[in-house]
Amino acid sequence: MRTLEELPVPEIARPRAPRPATARTGAAVLLALAAIPVIVRLAQPQRAAWVQAAFIIFGSLLIQALPFVAIGAFTSALIEVLVPIGTLERLARLPRPLQLPAAALAGLAMPICECGSVPVARRLALKGLLPSAAITFMLAAPIVNPVVIASTFVAYRGRQALWLMVGGRFLLGALVAIVAGWTVGAISREELLREGPTEEHVHAVELGRPEPRWRRFFVHLGGDFLFMGRYLVLGAALAALVQTFLPAPWISRVAGTPVLGIAVMMVLAALLSLCSESDAFVAASFAPFGPAPQLAFLVFGPMVDLKLTTLYAGTFRSGLVRTIIVASFATTLVAAMWLQVLSG
Amino acid sequence: MSEIALRAASGAGDHRRLSPARVAGAGLLGAWAALFWWLLASGRDALYLSTRTRWVVPAGAALLSLAALGRLATARTTHPERIGRREAWVMGAVLAPAVLLASLPPATLGQFSAGTRSSFSAAGIVGAGDLASGREITLVDVAAAQTTPEGERALAARAGETVDFIGFVTRYADTPADEILLTRYVVTCCVADATIAQVRVVNVTPGRFRPNDWVEVTGTIYPIGREVIVNASAVEPVDRPERPYLTP
Repeated sequence: MRTLEELPVPEIARPRAPRPATARTGAAVLLALAAIPVIVRLAQPQRAAWVQAAFIIFGSLLIQALPFVAIGAFTSALIEVLVPIGTLERLARLPRPLQLPAAALAGLAMPICECGSVPVARRLALKGLLPSAAITFMLAAPIVNPVVIASTFVAYRGRQALWLMVGGRFLLGALVAIVAGWTVGAISREELLREGPTEEHVHAVELGRPEPRWRRFFVHLGGDFLFMGRYLVLGAALAALVQTFLPAPWISRVAGTPVLGIAVMMVLAALLSLCSESDAFVAASFAPFGPAPQLAFLVFGPMVDLKLTTLYAGTFRSGLVRTIIVASFATTLVAAMWLQVLSG
Repeated sequence: MSEIALRAASGAGDHRRLSPARVAGAGLLGAWAALFWWLLASGRDALYLSTRTRWVVPAGAALLSLAALGRLATARTTHPERIGRREAWVMGAVLAPAVLLASLPPATLGQFSAGTRSSFSAAGIVGAGDLASGREITLVDVAAAQTTPEGERALAARAGETVDFIGFVTRYADTPADEILLTRYVVTCCVADATIAQVRVVNVTPGRFRPNDWVEVTGTIYPIGREVIVNASAVEPVDRPERPYLTP
């Protein structure tokens, strides 16, 4: 069976080659990096409490998320070299009402955080999966996987709303992901994805003689990680700044206000950029809000947050990022409002 | 004839040269891998992660090392990619946090962040039965008492017992001179999800401790509604614990 690299490469318009880095550029970059320890030593960030807090939060977000991005890139590279291209294309021919729920439930088998699901979804789309199914998978996987279900259970154990939160998060997470995937519509791979790592093109052209699988695996592993890493660094920096200054207890002042309470918890989830495996413990600490806003926090946060938005912006076309955000927000809000009405 | 066919026919595919972009990428991956190994070896991972997620550090170190070595092994290619100026600076920006984290002095979240964090909700961690069993009271138990009626009742039943807590000093402008708030962060995955467990300690020598000092408080506990007070019999300075954050 043919792999992606073995297909003929279409003639496409390439952007003009960027100006190459000179030795002077390299030296300037290395000098800037070498200046960091000196600046830290002279500025003593421990003297300014907010700077120190921002650095600690920034570091913790990166240290926790980077291995998951690496796991995502690893999975993505495995898909690239092991899954024959026809397999996913055959799946893409199934009717969408069947594909999207299947894509949402596929997350059950992928216990990865949201940062890891982005490179996997990108690779699935590149390999021929329907783009809307790839989006559904990406949004659902961080919510419906067993590790997240277990952590939600532990966080709410002993509460009346335990099963509402555990079951509601799973079902609502899958539903919102399916709706967002459906809203994306029947777009092509080219309409979904932005330009990827440059190696992918070069690698395809290089195949006058087929490359060994291990070489292709490592080229894609490194390429995906470096591509995602830059957006993760930017997103983690933004999230750390917001976390440093956002006084979470103040948010509780709007608890009990029906629609506003839900919307505020969703915005809070997006700003805090928590990992889906730990966010239930933070949501549970907002007890005055009641189950519906907490559920909205747990469903919307793993789909849209500051660090994810930068990853999306680097991976998908901008119109599509807007569609994902609006569809996820609107569906979660409406579903949580219904839940609030039904649960009194 | 297409470019691919021409290259195959001319044997250009056999001529591999070092790709500067791949070598630089391998260096970047290697630097991040080195940071993860260093975090693991020095124990600094405890300043950023909970014990529950500590496994990501060796996992990250191993994966990044593998990715770096693999990238280096594939650095010779028939089409070596050059690095653009912008790309060089972007790579520098991705590497900068690793250099920054290695340069920072060891530190934990302190009083500044305590005001922006919500209280730890320990309902799912500490049952009323746990507190009623007579085991030693911890700061996580205190958080349970502050966030659930059952926990509140269970802790109230143990009023007057002797407790021993370690935490850092938090003081605000309206904190009386002979009191401190003893605070400890509860971290589930990473510091970004930190919530607080806090008790009011009375009968403290005025002016002896400053905010962010780590202390060990021994005293008698008195839960009054959702507020928990410890009447200190001894407050002694201690070193920051090896694992400064509590894991639920």
